[in-house]
Amino acid sequence: MDQTISFKQVTHTYQANTPFSQDALDQVSLTIPAHSFTAIIGHTGSGKSTLVQHINALLKPTSGEIEVYGRTIIPTTTNKNLKELRKHVGMVFQFPEKQLFEESVIKDIMFGPKNYGASEADAEKDAEDAMQLVGLDESLRDKSPFDLSGGQMRRVAIAGVLAMKPEILILDEPTAGLDPRGHKEIMDLAQELHDHRGLTIILVTHQMDDVVDYASDVIVMDRGKIVKHGKPSDIFADPKWVYQMHLDLPSSAEFATRLVKAGIHLKQTPLTIEKLADEIAELIKGEAHT
Amino acid sequence: MSNFLFGRYLPGNSWVHRMSPQSKLMLCFFFVIVIFFANNVWTYATLSLLLIVVVLMSGVSIGYFLKGIRPLIWLIIFTVLLQILFSSGGHVYWHFGPFSVSDLSLINGGFIFVRFLLIIMISTVLTLTTTPLAIADGVQTVLKPLKKFHFPVDTLALMLSIALRFVPTLMDEMETILNAQRSRGVDFGSGSLRHRIQAAVPLLVPLFTGAINHAENLSTAMEARGFTDSEHRSKYRVYRWQTKDTISWGVFLLVGILVLFLRNN
Repeated sequence: MDQTISFKQVTHTYQANTPFSQDALDQVSLTIPAHSFTAIIGHTGSGKSTLVQHINALLKPTSGEIEVYGRTIIPTTTNKNLKELRKHVGMVFQFPEKQLFEESVIKDIMFGPKNYGASEADAEKDAEDAMQLVGLDESLRDKSPFDLSGGQMRRVAIAGVLAMKPEILILDEPTAGLDPRGHKEIMDLAQELHDHRGLTIILVTHQMDDVVDYASDVIVMDRGKIVKHGKPSDIFADPKWVYQMHLDLPSSAEFATRLVKAGIHLKQTPLTIEKLADEIAELIKGEAHT
Repeated sequence: MSNFLFGRYLPGNSWVHRMSPQSKLMLCFFFVIVIFFANNVWTYATLSLLLIVVVLMSGVSIGYFLKGIRPLIWLIIFTVLLQILFSSGGHVYWHFGPFSVSDLSLINGGFIFVRFLLIIMISTVLTLTTTPLAIADGVQTVLKPLKKFHFPVDTLALMLSIALRFVPTLMDEMETILNAQRSRGVDFGSGSLRHRIQAAVPLLVPLFTGAINHAENLSTAMEARGFTDSEHRSKYRVYRWQTKDTISWGVFLLVGILVLFLRNN
C-alpha cells in the first residue's frame, strides 16, 4: 500500500481550552514520499516529537488532516481500528528501553507481533529475526531485559518494534545517550533498513552529522511550523540561517567555514567528512588531482 | 490528562497568591470546619459570600473553578439525591415506597449541595494559587508542633516535596510508555475486564522500574551533594507571616463567630 505520508493544514494544541493550552503545531502541510529517509530537525520544543506522533495517530490533529497508509486521520478519529495503521508504522520513542516489561528478552520482542495477531510460533520467528537484525546475541534470548546493559536494552526495544515488520519506521532520537560505537551501529541499522528493505525512515535528531550522512530529505521545524524542507545540501547552504534557527552545522561544514575565515576557499561547502577531505586534497594537489 | 485541573497551580500575583502557604493551608482547614457548623440559610449565605470574596481576590477566572468541580459532579448529584429521597420529616409532597420528597429534605439537599461546593471551591483556591512545593513547606510549618511527640515532620516534608516534584515527571513517563505500548499494538481501555487488567501490565511494570531507577539516582545524587538527614537543614525558601495573613485571619475568624451566632441551636 502507499506509504506516502501527507499532512494537510495540521494544527495541534495541547490541553486545548484550558489555561495551559499550548500550540505545538501550526498549520503544518507536508508530504513525506514513500521509501525516503527523512530527518526532522529543529530547536528543542519546536514540535518535532508532536509531529511524528501524528503519523501513527497517537496524537490527533486539533484541526486539519493527515493521510497515511490509506487512512485519513481527522480531529474526530477515534482510537478504534487504528491497530492496522500502527502495525505498519513502527515508532521508536526516545529512550525506548523504558518500555521493556516482559520477563525475558524474546518475550518482550514477541509482544508486538502477538498483539497484532501473530501466532506464538510466528511471533517467535519474527522476534528471532529482529534480534539478529539489531545484533543481539542469541545467548541473551532468555535473559531478563532488566539485567542487560543500557545499549543492549535499547536494542531489545528497537527489535520489539522491528519484529512487527513496519513499513514506516519513526525514530525519535534513537541514539541519545549512546556511546559513539552504539550510535554508529544504530544509524547503520537504520540505513540498512532503508536501503535494503525499502522502509520509509523518519528520524528526529539533533545530530547534524547524522542528517548529512544518512538522510535524503530534511525538514526543519521552528515554533510549530515547517520552515524548510529539502535536500541536506539546500538546508545547510546558508550557515547564517542555520544558526538563526538555533541549529548547528555538520562538523565538516563547520570546519569549512573556519577555513574560509582563514582565507582558504573551497569550491563548495562539504557536508560530509569524505567530501571535505576530497576538497582539501584537491586544493593541496592543485590541478594535478583529478 | 489534558482536562485534569484539580491540584494544578496557576501562576499569578494576587492577594491570595502572595499569602504565606502555612496560613492559607490553615485558613482552608478552618473554613471547612466552619462549614460543618452552618445549618441554616443565613450561615450558608455568609460563608458563600466570604468564598465569593476569596475567589474574586484570587484573580482566577470563575471558569476554572467550574472545571474543577466537573469531575466530582456525579458524586455531588448522587449524595444530594440520596439526601432528598431518603430523609424524613416536614411536609411531604410526594412519596413512593421508601422514597419521599418533603420540603425539609429539599432544603437539606440544597444545603448538602452548597456544602460540597464550598469545600471543593476553597480547596481549589488553595491549589490553584499555591505551588506544590509551597504547599509542602506549609505542611511542614503546620506540623512542626508534632515534633514534640517525635513525629518525623522533616522527613515527611521531604518525602512530600519529592513526591510532588515527581508527579509531573511520572505522568510524562506514563504518557510515553502508554504511547510506546500503543504503537506496539496494545489497546488500553477496551475489551473485557480481564483484558483490561492484562493490558495494564505493560504499563505498570515499566512505570515501577522507572520509579525505582529514579529513586536510586536521586538518593545517590542527594548523598553526593552532602545530604545526610532531613533534620538540621537550613531553608532556602522562607515564608514569613505578613500583614495580609493577619488581616485574612481576622476576617475568617469574624465570619466564624458570625456563623456561630447565626446558626440554629
